[in-house]
Amino acid sequence: MKALEIKGLKFSYIGSEDSAIEIDHLSIEDGETVLITGKSGGGKSTLVNCITGIIPHAFHGEYEGTVEVYGQNVAETSLAKLSTEVGTVLQNPETQVLNYTVEEEVAFGPENLCLESDDIVSRVAEAIEITGISSLNERETYALSGGEMQRVAIAAVLSMRPKLLILDEPTSNIDPEGTAKVFEILKRLKEEKTLIVVEHKVERVLPFVDRIIVIDNGKIFLDIRSHDLIHHVDKMLEIGIEVPIHYIYARKNGIDSDDLDLIREKLREKGMIPASPLRARPARTVLRAAILVSTASGKPLADCSIDLEERHILAIMGRNGAGKTTFLKGVMGFLDTDLRSEVSIILDGRDISGEHIINRGREIAFVPQNFDLTLINKSVEREVAYSINKRKKKSYGNRLDELMDMFSLSDLRYRDPLSLSLGQRRRVAIASAIATDVRVIMFDEPTSGQDYFHKEALGRELVRLKEAGYSIIVVTHDSRFVYKYADRIVVLDKGKKVLDGTPEAVFHESWKYSVLPPSDFLLRSDEYELVNY
Amino acid sequence: MNLLIINLISWLIFFFGAAFPVLIMLKAIGLTGFMKVTRFESYHTFYYRMNPAVKIILGIVVMAVAALTIWWIGALMTVVILLTYLTLKDGKRKFATGFFLTMMTTIGTTWAFAPYTPYAILNEAFHGSALTSLWVWPSYFTVMGYQPDLTVQGLIYGFQISMRFTAVSLMSLVLVMTSTPSQVLRSLNKVGVPISITFSLVIAMRTVPRIFEYIDTSVKIQFMRGLGSRAPRFLRPFYVLVGAINGIVPVIVFLVRGAKDTAISADTRAFRAYQKRTYMRPATIGRVDRMAFSIIVLVILITVIAVLMGFGRGIPYNG
Repeated sequence: MKALEIKGLKFSYIGSEDSAIEIDHLSIEDGETVLITGKSGGGKSTLVNCITGIIPHAFHGEYEGTVEVYGQNVAETSLAKLSTEVGTVLQNPETQVLNYTVEEEVAFGPENLCLESDDIVSRVAEAIEITGISSLNERETYALSGGEMQRVAIAAVLSMRPKLLILDEPTSNIDPEGTAKVFEILKRLKEEKTLIVVEHKVERVLPFVDRIIVIDNGKIFLDIRSHDLIHHVDKMLEIGIEVPIHYIYARKNGIDSDDLDLIREKLREKGMIPASPLRARPARTVLRAAILVSTASGKPLADCSIDLEERHILAIMGRNGAGKTTFLKGVMGFLDTDLRSEVSIILDGRDISGEHIINRGREIAFVPQNFDLTLINKSVEREVAYSINKRKKKSYGNRLDELMDMFSLSDLRYRDPLSLSLGQRRRVAIASAIATDVRVIMFDEPTSGQDYFHKEALGRELVRLKEAGYSIIVVTHDSRFVYKYADRIVVLDKGKKVLDGTPEAVFHESWKYSVLPPSDFLLRSDEYELVNY
Repeated sequence: MNLLIINLISWLIFFFGAAFPVLIMLKAIGLTGFMKVTRFESYHTFYYRMNPAVKIILGIVVMAVAALTIWWIGALMTVVILLTYLTLKDGKRKFATGFFLTMMTTIGTTWAFAPYTPYAILNEAFHGSALTSLWVWPSYFTVMGYQPDLTVQGLIYGFQISMRFTAVSLMSLVLVMTSTPSQVLRSLNKVGVPISITFSLVIAMRTVPRIFEYIDTSVKIQFMRGLGSRAPRFLRPFYVLVGAINGIVPVIVFLVRGAKDTAISADTRAFRAYQKRTYMRPATIGRVDRMAFSIIVLVILITVIAVLMGFGRGIPYNG
């Protein structure tokens, strides 16, 4: 039986002449697990909305063709009816979770279906059992980690008992441990449901999927079985899709296998093992931060000391709740006044621990994960000039133009920063953060939810900043990004520093702390070194 | 007195009523304090076990009593409700926040009334007794014919009026802090409020603490970027306000971007599939609710007796 059948689908949003999605034919069999991938803005979300019925029921525009889910025409079936056939888990659980307690959240859908309370109870129990969140039952949803919250979001959809489950980048905001738990659920659901996983990171989901569909410019660019991916690596790269690095080398060297160990062996035989990325040489310490933070009740949150070297990119990694963000907040003076803290910040040999945020900000810049919150001005030019004006820097006559050029913002000078694309907004946020004398820049989860294209752009920006003399701290879960761009990694666990070294050194044992090494590293490492992995 | 000093003091007193509450708001409560008193946290004491509908009724009764009776009954209710904050989760902190919020309301309201209440009303409220002047502003402070004179009676009068607001403000926060939006939704639907309206309320209850959280981040980053860097230290709290105002637009845009997902999340889980919803745990009336009802009845009785005994609303307020 067909779970999904699309014929002649064409949809364009109101006010747009171009089709956001155009699919002649697509069908997915009952029980299949399919990966839908593609660049941001390529049409993946529009396709998902067409399947769930959000288009045309909630989002309107020019709609042609038919989409059938288990034989029901989406356009002619109410959203309520469709919700029992198809469930959707969105990328950001924070915006998806509506209720304060886990139990209420999971019960929300069945309650809307006006089921008897006994039936709701049994559905909630079932969904909680499948997702393994019974320990979270009484917790407030806002206090959950990203991974926990995403599992709650999955449970909330499963309680509707849909036959087709769509997961739209379900792991983009969570740590590897949370990711592993989400995939455990998917593994279990694979036996029972038809699954569509929308994901940028092909490497992550490859072991779970039967089929890969690549969407580009609103059209199906590629539709292949997953084991066939290795033969289509060039096409994937051509449109900027991230594929496991060993696939690329296997393809380049004519190795017809997707087994990493085998590819490494063959490459070694041929002497073709690629060199590791270049790392910056050890340099003098610019920033030395020792942070001891606990809650008012004495629960430790962070107890670590981290050094940052000049013109280095330092990545801080670890599980959700390991103390990474607390560390950054301690350095910036953002800690909640309810917390007990002892903070020592030495910047260039000068103790700035007692300084107010305003003074720390003279030399340290911070770009938060939600960088849109920093864009307070009406034009890009005013945004970037904000610090210069506020600090009355007279010697900064050309600084504005310099920054505009450096971040390719000159053409956007008079645009409202909030109206720009994601990549452009991030560039404005970085440019405005470093506009004055800052020497250290800290980024909190800059790679979260970004596709390959945007991550590469970010990586290049970081390298450019490093070359321009800045020292950078990046908090991230993205091992591949870190391997490619960081000079050093610090891994935190339960608030303490447990590993500190080059990516090559740290990734050998980082798995113990839920930091999984990327295929880029594994390809270059000897098997015996990873015996415990 | 020197004319310059007179003018200086006059302006200081004039702005005190607006600036001091803002200072309390920013210094003593802070944006994170507002976040804490607008967010539900699980706990086990009586407020948390009470049916939200009963809490809503209690709030309405408190409002009616404060409006209908003499000021000190409102003051008494304020004290009692504030003391019950100690039973909430993280009670001391919430008590302190409630106390500062009450102070803000009291000072703000007192100052809003004290200088502008005409002598004629004050004379009537205080049985024609002589007014004790505390400060006379220069004549250019006269607004629409009111006397530019701050009197003890004016301050008392303003204070008494503020007692009409404080109890109900505290009671409203109790509802928000001790009921989940879903519980409120259940109760309001039961009394016939349409789902779409109650759902908006639910989303508001979920969003308000986030607004404070995001504005707090925005303000801190503005400080890092130099906001208030050239101002004297004592003015920094006011720059928090400036930063908060600057942060409103990006915070709203950020939230609106997420609202699309919220809508999809609700729609794809059959929200509004039917006019009504069923509930996993239907709202029940328990022992705590019956006790609360007894208190409500008692309060209404006291109000009636107080009004009959002449302690009802009206002049004189100072009883």
